[in-house]
This record gives sequence, structure tokens and C-alpha cells, in this order.
Amino acid sequence: MSLSLLLEKYDVSTEEGLQKALSEIEKEETEVDEALSGALSRACVLEGRLRSASQAYTKLGEVKADAQEAANMVDRTAALAKDVSAKVRQLDLARSRVAECQRRVHDLIDLQLCSAGVEAAIKAHDYETGAGHVARFLSMDPGSVAAARARGAADPRDAMAKAADTLRDHLVRKFEEAARKDDAASVERLFKLFPQIGRAEEGVELLAKYLAAQAEVTIRRASVVSDANSDAAVFADALTRVLEAAAAAVERCRSAAALHAPGLLPRAVHIIQPTVCSGARRVYRELVSRRRVQPGHAARAPLSALAAEPTLVELALAHNTISLYFTFLRRKTEADASSLNDAAKKASKDAIEKIIAECDLMRAAQDLLGHYLALERYFLEENVNKALKMATPQTGATQSSLVDDIFFIARKAIRRAVSTGSLEGVCAVLNDAGALVERGAAALRRWLRAPQDVLPLPPPPTLHTPSAAGVLDAAGSLAARLNRDVDAQRDLFLAHTNETEAGGEWSERLAAEACAEADVLVRSDSDRDKLQSCAAGLAAAAAAYRAAHELALDGIKAALKPRVVAWAEYIADPGVEPEEMEEDADALPIALDTLLESARTQLSSRSTEAVLLALLADLAARAEARILHHHYDREGGLVVERRARRLASWAGGNIPGARERVSRLTQGAALLALERLAHLQDVLAPACRLPPNLVRDILARRTDFKIEDIKRLKF
Amino acid sequence: MEDYKFLFKVVLVGNAGVGKTCLVRRFTQGLFPPGQGATIGVDFMIKTVEVDGEKVKLQIWDTAGQERFRSITQSYYRSAHALILVYDISCQPTFDCLPDWLREIEEYANNKVLRILVGNKTDREDREIPRHIGEDFAQRHGMYFLETSAKEAENVERLFMEIAVELMEQAKCKELPKYDGSLGPINGKTTSVGDSGCCLRS
Repeated sequence: MSLSLLLEKYDVSTEEGLQKALSEIEKEETEVDEALSGALSRACVLEGRLRSASQAYTKLGEVKADAQEAANMVDRTAALAKDVSAKVRQLDLARSRVAECQRRVHDLIDLQLCSAGVEAAIKAHDYETGAGHVARFLSMDPGSVAAARARGAADPRDAMAKAADTLRDHLVRKFEEAARKDDAASVERLFKLFPQIGRAEEGVELLAKYLAAQAEVTIRRASVVSDANSDAAVFADALTRVLEAAAAAVERCRSAAALHAPGLLPRAVHIIQPTVCSGARRVYRELVSRRRVQPGHAARAPLSALAAEPTLVELALAHNTISLYFTFLRRKTEADASSLNDAAKKASKDAIEKIIAECDLMRAAQDLLGHYLALERYFLEENVNKALKMATPQTGATQSSLVDDIFFIARKAIRRAVSTGSLEGVCAVLNDAGALVERGAAALRRWLRAPQDVLPLPPPPTLHTPSAAGVLDAAGSLAARLNRDVDAQRDLFLAHTNETEAGGEWSERLAAEACAEADVLVRSDSDRDKLQSCAAGLAAAAAAYRAAHELALDGIKAALKPRVVAWAEYIADPGVEPEEMEEDADALPIALDTLLESARTQLSSRSTEAVLLALLADLAARAEARILHHHYDREGGLVVERRARRLASWAGGNIPGARERVSRLTQGAALLALERLAHLQDVLAPACRLPPNLVRDILARRTDFKIEDIKRLKF
Repeated sequence: MEDYKFLFKVVLVGNAGVGKTCLVRRFTQGLFPPGQGATIGVDFMIKTVEVDGEKVKLQIWDTAGQERFRSITQSYYRSAHALILVYDISCQPTFDCLPDWLREIEEYANNKVLRILVGNKTDREDREIPRHIGEDFAQRHGMYFLETSAKEAENVERLFMEIAVELMEQAKCKELPKYDGSLGPINGKTTSVGDSGCCLRS
């Protein structure tokens, strides 16, 4: 604290103040003294530290020199190590070159041994050893020989190649000899050597030639049909024998070559196939001429549909045998190439497909299918013609069911087409069958269109109502007079009606069945599309049957019309004696019961319902209209209402959904039976089914209601 | 379910090698596959086109021209809506066979089928059948006529589109297609070729 401050702080004018200032100054003085002595005491310590620091610095310089030396040493070591490893690498290279040299020397020595060995083996007929030498030669590093030649030595391969050729010539000669002698064991033994001498293809070809020659004998024997006139499928059997012999040859070749030369089966098939084709063609020619299937064949025309059947079966069988053989070839080729890479597999597959597509057997199969289809079409047409003839309405004679006949024939043909094993065939038969099935529908339609004068159902009993009875009696007697065979005609019409219904169901069923049965022949999506499209053509015939069915039902409805007119008149008729009322109200349900009963026995339930629903709707509409032609008192109205209610309850009890159809009539009749106009709302609740004008018109039919009152009604 | 309003079946017939498959490939896939092998039996392709904003599905049946497949191909005539009869303008024999084909069409096809005569391979230099000869033939037999090149994609699209348009018009004329039972009998002796009303659109 400075003196001036001290002087300001303390009052120096007084003693006390001076005293205080003095003591303060003294206190500060002692503090400064203490601080000074403290600083002086630390000075020696600091000095000591400075000394030690400078000593340490000199030591660090030594450490640095040491470290530098160490770093130099590491560098030198690294350089040395690099030198060493370079030398090791050089050594390695040198060693591998030595090894290669050794191998080549060995190869060269072997080569000489081999060519000498081959010759020795040939002389000793020890072909296995010879082939072993050649195999060794083929597995040699080509560099060895090149190196030897580069040094100016004579090409040692020449001698070896010559020896290998000699061996091959020997093997071929021996193989051919063995084949001539039919020495199967030698053939197999020699065949195995060809892959060893690098000539697997040649071996397979030789083997195939041998097998083809063998198969030819078998095939020639198999293709002879002793009993050519037999009705049994002798030609198809012969074809089966031929193709079995062929398959045996192919299988033998495959099993021999599988281990040593995979993927070469198409080459073998290519050699064996012509023999098979010529054998099959012989059988085919015989078949065509004996079975008279050639189109335009003079003798074919009288061939009846019945007589065509065994031939059809035989043609289908023959075709199927060929397709099975082709499938066999495809499968075996695939198995044969299974151990190869994808490219080789594909090459093998393409090769066999090419052989199959181009061989004469394929043509024979196509020709067979052509003949089969032509004959099948003829069979279908003839049979459908016959069925149409048998089913053509002739009064007095019993008819067979057209639809049953047609679908039986169509189904038979389609199943047979599936048995050919050809999807093309199935599609074509489906097309043809579709046409014929539609012909059936057209015939039925024609017959059903013939005018119907008579009620196609037994006449329901007449009602004991004077006005209605007259109409019904007239219709009945007219019908009876028109034709003595009313019953027969009626039955025929109903039978045809039912047939149209069955035909519709059958068409769809047959199409679905055909798709399911032919599914085994489908090999691709487009195949499936094709099959389904052709089957859809058959299913489309269902529409034709449905249309004919509609026509038939219309016919029935039209024939029932006079009765409906009479019944409508009866419902609307106000006049009845009070004691007859109960009996009167039951008359219509009884008549309808009779109608329903006979309809049920003669028609399907679906058709019955359709007819009766239409009838009830028509009846209700007509009765509603008739009501407007009469005048009623309360009694008369009650009679009509009772009849309408009975009709509604009958409809509700017998035909599903029919009560709705007569609900308007019931409401109209209830209007007629009103006790007083004020009760109108009870009748119209819960819903008014009649238009307001009609409600007023019906109410106006009541003689006891006033027109002005009716006009005032609000609803 | 595919969305289309009309489905028409179009069948191509004609001698082997006149280019039926190439026409179909060009139209359905836009390709001209050289070195096409002979068709076996019947091939089946689908293409949906649009006419006046309506989807029309064309089901195209490409038949084999070789004689031995006749039994198969004949079965497809009946359900066809349109038949395209193809010949090769550079090969007289294919034109000479046309009457045989017409006989076959009359025998097996529906007599109302739309028939189109097509002279294919207009890209070829060595034409043997002049255009007017083909036109005359078509007119005489009440057929539409068109010359095409599947290779150059000439008139191919037009051929099928005009068929689609024509068939759609026909279908609309008898809207509510009711079954009228008048499909030609499969082996019946339908006579009289061509409704005289046919006009040439080329």
C-alpha cells in the first residue's frame, strides 16, 4: 500500500491514526521481509536443477549416436536379406528347370520306348499295352517334343505317330474281323481301346456299324408279318418289334461307350437309324396297303365305320410306338451326355433332335398320323351320320339318344387320339369332334323347331269353371284329333329337350376331360395353349346346345299358353257359388300340381323350374290384366283373393323364388277383397308393388266403391 | 383373365415354303428368321392389337404346307374367322396350286369365312407372277388381295390389321352373336364361293 493511500485511509492528524498507519506499515514490512527470504532460499534449489539438466543433455547426445548406429545396422541387414531371397528364387527356377528337363528326357526316352513298345505290342497282338503306350504319348507335354526338335534331333513324334497309326489300322482291322465273326467279347474289348488312342469317335462309329448290322438282321426278321390279314394289330406289333430291336442296339452302344466316350451317342444313332427307318418303312408300307388307309384308295369307301375301328386302334398304336422310341432316344442321349459341360450337353441334344427330325421314321410317323386322322374323321362322320339317322324322329319307332351316341363316339375318338401320343393328333381330333358335336346340336334344334301343336306335357285336369273349362276342352280335343300319336310326339319333344340340356353339359365335360387326358403330351406352354384353344372349340358347342335348349323351353311355354290364358280367366272370374268356394280355390293348385308332377318326371329339375317360373309370371300378368275386365262385389273380390293367395302359396311351396312372381297379383286381388277403402294401407304395407294408377283402376272394379272416394285416396 | 373384347382365329394356308411362318413371325415378333425349317403340323401364336380403341386378340394358326400334314391342317379350317391363302410371287407352281387350296377351303371351312389372297416375297427380284394376275384371281374368287414381303416387313402389319378391322366390323354387324346353327358342315358340299359384295382394298 502506497504511502499516499495509507495517508488517505488513516487519519494521520491524530495519534491514533498515525499509530494505526505505523502498525500497518510495520506489518507490510515484515511480509516483504518474509517473501524476500523465501525467494533467496529457493535460489539454490533452482541452481541444482539447472545443473542436472545440462548434464542430462550431454547424455542424450550419446544415445542419439547409438541409435543412429543401430539404424544403419538394420538397413544393412535388410539389404543382405534381399540379396539372399533373390538368390533363393534363382535357385528355385533352376531346380524347376532341371525337373522339366528330367521329365522331358523321360518323355523322350518313353517316346522311344513307346514307339518301339507299340510295334512290339502289335506284333504280340497285345493291343492293350500298345494302346497304353499311345495313351502315354498323347498325354505327353507337347513342349518336350518341341524342345527335342529345337536341338536339331529328328522329330521323335513321327515314329510314334506312325506307330499309333499302325496300331489304329490293326485295331480297325481286328474290330472288323471280330464284327464279321460276331465275336461280341472281342468287339467290346477292342472298342474300349479306341478312346485310349484318342479315336473315340472312330470307335463309336465302328461299334455303331457293327450294332446296326446286327440289328438289321433282327429288324428284318421282326418286320415280317406272317398273318397280314389278321384283324389283330399285327402291323403295330411288328413295328413295336422293329423299334425294340433298334432300342436294344442303341442301349448297347450307350452302355459300352458311356464310360470311355460320353456324349457320342448321337453319332452312333446317326449310323444305326437308317437301318431302323428302312425296317419301319417296310412295315408301314405293308400296313398302308393291307389296311387300305391310303386316301383315295378305291377299296376304302365301302369300309364301314365299324370295320375302321381296329385299323384306327392299330394306327394309333403304331404312332405311339414311334413316339415312344423317339422319347427313348432323347432320354438316352441326355443320360449319355450327363457328365459333360453345358455346351456339350446342348450340342448332343441338338444333334439327336436333328437326327429325329430328319429321319425317315419321323416321316413315317407323320404319314401314319395323317392316315389316322383322315380315318378318324371318316369314322366320326359315319358314326354321327348313323346316330342322326337312328335318332331322326319317326313317329311310332323308338329312337336312340342322339346326344348319348354323339358324345360316346366323340369321347372314344378323343381317347384314341390321346393314345397316339401326338398332341397334334389330339388337337385335330378335338377340332373334328367339335364340328360333329355341333352338328348334333343343329339337328336337335331343327327337330325342336318343328311346330308344336300339342302340349308337350300331359294336360292338367280341367277346372270346374264354366268359362275356363270350355277353352281347355277345346284344346284337348283339338290336340287329340290332330294326331293319333300325340303321346309319342310329346315324348319325343321332351326327350330332345333333355338331350339339348345334356349336350351342353357333355360338351364342357368332354373338353375338360380331353385337356386333362392329353396333359401328358404337353411339352411346353405353347403346346398347352394350343390344346386348350382346341378344347375351347369343343366347349363352344355347348352354346349351340344351350340355344337349342332355350328353344325347346320356349316351345313348351308356347304350348302351355292356352292353358295359362284359361287359368288367368279363371282367377279373375268373380262368379262362383258360395258352397263351391273351397273346392274352387283348390282347383288351380291341383292343376298345377299335376303339371309340375308330369314336368318333373319328364324334364330335369332345372328345366322344370325355368318353365314353371315363366308360366307363373305369365299367368300372374294375364290374371292381373283380366281383373280389369270384370266387375266385383265384395264376395267376388274375396273369391279372386282366395284364388290368388292359394296360387301364391303353391308357388312359394313348390318353386324357389316363384312367390315373388305372383306377389303383384296377390296384392291386386287383396285390393279387390277390401272391406272398405280406409283399409287400403293394410293391403299396400309393407310395400306397394302396383303403380298408383293400377291400384285405383283395380279398386274401381269394385261396384260398391265410389269413384270419387277412390280418387281422393292418398298413398 | 386377359382383357380383350374380340377373339378371332386366323389360319394361314398355302404351299410349303411360301413364307407363312415368316409372315406370322414378322407380325407377332417383328422378326425375319432366315433358314426357317418346315413347320410341323400347326403352330400357334397370339397377338393382341387395338382397333378403334378396342382390344382385339388375334389367334394365328400357322399351318404346315406339306401334303402329309393336310389331315391336321384341314381340321383347323372350320373354326377360322379368316383364312389367309399365301403364294410365292417368285414361284409359279405355288400360284398354280391355288385352285386346289380353294377347293379344300370350300370343303372344310365355314362358307362365311373371310378369305385373303396374299402374294408374298415382293422383295425378290425374280418375280414370276405379275401383280395383276394375282389381283384378277382374287377378284374372280371373291377374295381380298395383298402383296407382302415378310423380309422387308412390307404390308405385313397392314394385312393383319385389315383383317382385324374387317372381322370386327362383321362382328359388330351381328352384335349379340346368337348361335344360328349355320356353320358349314365338316364334310358337307357347300357351294358358291364368295359373296359378290367383296371389294378389293389394295
